[in-house]
Amino acid sequence: MTPDQWLERLSRIEKEFFSVPGGEDPGRLEQKYLGRKGELALLLRELSSFSIEDKKRLGQTGNALKNKLQENLDSRKTSRGAAASEARPALDLALSGYPYPRGSVHPVTFTANKIIDSLGKLGFSLEDGPLAEMDYYNFEALNFPPHHPARDMQDTFYLNLKDEKNMDYLLRTHTSPVQIRTMKSRKPPVRAISFGKTFRSEAVDASHSFVFHQMEGFYADKNVSMADLKWTLETFIKDLFGSGAKIRFSPSYFPFVEPGAQVEVSCVFCGRNGAAGAGQKPGGEEGKCPVCKGSGWLEMLGAGMIHSEVFKACGYDPEKVSGFAFGAGIERFAMLLFGIRDMRMLYENDLRILKQL
Amino acid sequence: MKVLFSWVKDYLEPGLSFEEFKAKITRLGFGIDSAEKTGVDAENVFTAEILKIEKHPNADRLSLCEVSTGDKIYKVVCGAKNIEVGQKIPFAVIGARLPEGVLKKAKIRGVESEGMICSAAELGLKGYDSEAVLAEGKGGILPLDKNLPLGADIREVFPKADYVFELEITPNLAYCLSHYALARELSVFYGLTLREPRIPSFDNEGAPVIKIEIEDPKNCHRYAGIVMKGVKNKKTPEYMYDRLKAIGLNPKGDVLIDVTNYVMFELGQPIHCFDLRNIRGGEIRVRQAGKGEKIKTLDGREQELSEEVMVIADGEKPVAVAGVMGGFYSSINPDTEDVLIESALFDPPAVRKSSKIVKIKSDSSYRFERGVDPELQLKAALRVAGILKELNSAAEIAQISDSHPFKKEPAVIEISHEKINSVLGSSLEKGKIDACLKAIDPSFGGRLFTAPSYRGDLKNIWDVAEEVARYIGYDVIESRTSMPLMKVAENGRHAMLNEFKNGLSACGLSEVCNYDLISLKEIRDMLSNENEAVELKNPLSSDFHYLRPALPASLMKNLKYNLNRGRNSVCIYESGSVFAVRDGKPEETRQLAGLLYGYLLDEEFWRGERESLDFYHVKGILNRVFYGYGDFAFEKPEKAPHYFREASCLALKISGETVGYAGLLNPQIISNFDLKDNNVFYFEVNLEKTLKHFETEFYKKIRKIKPVSQFQHSWRDLSVLLDRKYSWGEVHPEISGIPELLWVKLVDVYTGKNIPEDLKSLTIRFMFSSMEKTFTDQELNKLMEGVFKKLQDKFQAVLRS
Repeated sequence: MTPDQWLERLSRIEKEFFSVPGGEDPGRLEQKYLGRKGELALLLRELSSFSIEDKKRLGQTGNALKNKLQENLDSRKTSRGAAASEARPALDLALSGYPYPRGSVHPVTFTANKIIDSLGKLGFSLEDGPLAEMDYYNFEALNFPPHHPARDMQDTFYLNLKDEKNMDYLLRTHTSPVQIRTMKSRKPPVRAISFGKTFRSEAVDASHSFVFHQMEGFYADKNVSMADLKWTLETFIKDLFGSGAKIRFSPSYFPFVEPGAQVEVSCVFCGRNGAAGAGQKPGGEEGKCPVCKGSGWLEMLGAGMIHSEVFKACGYDPEKVSGFAFGAGIERFAMLLFGIRDMRMLYENDLRILKQL
Repeated sequence: MKVLFSWVKDYLEPGLSFEEFKAKITRLGFGIDSAEKTGVDAENVFTAEILKIEKHPNADRLSLCEVSTGDKIYKVVCGAKNIEVGQKIPFAVIGARLPEGVLKKAKIRGVESEGMICSAAELGLKGYDSEAVLAEGKGGILPLDKNLPLGADIREVFPKADYVFELEITPNLAYCLSHYALARELSVFYGLTLREPRIPSFDNEGAPVIKIEIEDPKNCHRYAGIVMKGVKNKKTPEYMYDRLKAIGLNPKGDVLIDVTNYVMFELGQPIHCFDLRNIRGGEIRVRQAGKGEKIKTLDGREQELSEEVMVIADGEKPVAVAGVMGGFYSSINPDTEDVLIESALFDPPAVRKSSKIVKIKSDSSYRFERGVDPELQLKAALRVAGILKELNSAAEIAQISDSHPFKKEPAVIEISHEKINSVLGSSLEKGKIDACLKAIDPSFGGRLFTAPSYRGDLKNIWDVAEEVARYIGYDVIESRTSMPLMKVAENGRHAMLNEFKNGLSACGLSEVCNYDLISLKEIRDMLSNENEAVELKNPLSSDFHYLRPALPASLMKNLKYNLNRGRNSVCIYESGSVFAVRDGKPEETRQLAGLLYGYLLDEEFWRGERESLDFYHVKGILNRVFYGYGDFAFEKPEKAPHYFREASCLALKISGETVGYAGLLNPQIISNFDLKDNNVFYFEVNLEKTLKHFETEFYKKIRKIKPVSQFQHSWRDLSVLLDRKYSWGEVHPEISGIPELLWVKLVDVYTGKNIPEDLKSLTIRFMFSSMEKTFTDQELNKLMEGVFKKLQDKFQAVLRS
């Protein structure tokens, strides 16, 4: 075969290829021309019998055609693919996705975990205690001496069982016994929290329950002041209710602290102006924020400096050690965070509610 | 304590508004929930008479009245039905100030009204509407006494505007349990001028009528007694009556009774009056009751006393439960003229004990339990005598005695300004602190603070620091810290429980939270042993009588609650304590339990039928949650808890220890909870046990990753027939444990058509892998032969053709 014959065959292949109609299967075409035994492939292989110069010249022309063919094939493939997908039945993209089962943690767990994490960042370790408690830990060591009227402030459930001091076992009325148990087993500095169920013999209504959850935090060390307490609570509250949240202290009484304080948080609903917001149904009095009832503040925690009698009961020297303590109901936090108005909702265990978390 | 605002104002210089009072008192730590406005709150309203009633020309329901205030006649439109000619009525002239606003001139349906005939509500009066008016609804006018003069200011007819409110007084503020004490508190903390009530002094001559003896000064610290004779005009004065009524008491109209309450709510000192005729033997003894001694208390109840009850006795018998309530026989009668006024000071715990034993809580015991000012007794008795003397100038003071055998010295506290600032976290100047201390203790000179007699609560520097904060305001506490960093120790139980909770929630279960208290019926319904259950001594109701001995009852209740609300798939879990009596003590065990019922999917899916939940879902969920805890495995339990169905329960084991159970709930329990479908799955895990296997240290907790082979692995399926009696649990251990084997799984179990009745077909997949090579067919065949041989030998298996 002369170089001219070779070139003639090449141009025939080109002509033939480009006369193939667009509907032809590009895969089959590729095989026919460029495949291992394809026409162009075979022709290119025949270059081996030519001189080096011819090889170079003819090879260039041949390879150019090869590239041209490949390009054409690629575009045929693309357009064919698009046509094919149009032909196939379409996915109904609006159908719902597969409903993988989705569970949830209880709002109280969610809230408690957030509180524990938040205070954990400030160095508070979590401690546990029993629900069935002894009078000593629940009352006496917390500066509620026997026959003290402050005991009337917490309606207590007693059990039909006696403890070592021949006092009735009781269901803890607050998480504060954990404070005593922790301090008795450790030397200062101690910075701890506890949370869990507590019990008070009260009628159930929208904001009371005879079983509820409390959290408690305390810190005993040298030179602890109420300023440390305020800073801690402010930091913690901002973590929960946003950097705009504010707190304020006012006098209050708990036997295990002195001075004692009630801690109010600026109302997260009305932004402390006490007015009913847009879209908010005013409850009670006209135009007033239904959550804080117009005061702009919400009572959230009790707090104070750990009482010297409590330190003495735990074997700490109140002249050397000082400390603060605070506590709150977790349900109240959960209700504010999730916008729940009735505490009973948290104990009905309606999956329509729980699954919203 | 119920407080009448005007009564507090009696002891303060005039000018304090209720709003100011409220702000000042709450800032000091007292709580006011809601205040009720009482009395008439109107100006330019006068008594008038209706002279004429005509129909309104343009409205059927309105009347046109002519009313006279004596000096002028007004024409007025009225909508009320209960008007009559000749009636005396409250009439508001144009410009009158009423609680709702100022009355303006107005035309009503074309007729000008020159004023308004008022209803009780329009005057701000509560409790004055007749029943007929109330039944008719809004709009009835308030008819007045026909004998009233015309044109009298309505404020002369009814009590003046006032406020009554419940003041929340915590035990530390018990020194404020009276109207005078509240005024004193405001005067101390805000510098208001205090006006003392009139305390008279009397000459006390002659021999005592009654001998007063205190047996145990530790229980009775002081006893002041005044004998007064010839008290004849006994009608309670109107002001006293109204005040007692306003604060919710039930005044008797006999001043000898009412004055004791009045002075108690005025000064805070409980007082009792005895009829002198019924004090036998001429003596009063304060002593403990004798065993079996009895008293009929003022409430009419006959009480048997114990030695723990302190009594006031005469020469023969107890005449009062000391500090709690007087006795019936020595009480004041309509013909009583001679009295012994008792004003004593008792030990708080002693009164509390007595009060608990006789089951009487009174305003008196309430105050004694919380502590009364030890300087108040004689003063209060004199105050009572003074009021009686004003009413009966002829009455004679026959005896004034004051026995005070037990005196507590007031606390003297050395003041360190630095300490106060360090407690409060404040930076107060010395002068500011001193101003507060001087307000409370006028004798304070800069170093030693002496608590006033009424402030028994002030004992140490922390108590004083609180007073400083109350005085200056709690905002004095700054928000700053220099707390050192502290490492947080991980709480294993909490971390573990959260892992479980997150695992279960990720598998579609929702956490529930139930009361820990349940009824006896629920204990029986879940077949628990009621004899081991922990019982409450004082339950709220029989529904909440016991602590839960196990969790199925609560979860069954949750299941039913949700089924009743149209749900057909309920997958829930709870973590909680269960209780049992062990050696006479409550034993508390923390558990995690779950209940599954219905479908795996919560909701319908368009692709077809939903899969019903079965045991293998439960097993799969627990496998996933406990993956990685020691070597977690399911095993046949030695003894399953009674709330599982027989032979339908597996034990959950971690490193060989049983930590829980999973299976079908006992059908008996299911039917006890009125459910027909028996496919209720239940599991429970003992958290105390799993905790032992829970690694808290991060480094150790991490699972090391095993390398995988670079070579291709190969699998073979083997289908064999064997006797139905062999379980996979028996087969599996026999064929695993070959070193070349990566894993072995059961991929199909078949019984039925084409298979002899007593046999079953198992298809088992074997995955072989080596770190060194790819197995050849020959090698694989040999391995499979070995496996099959084992099945043949152990289980008489044959190849399924």
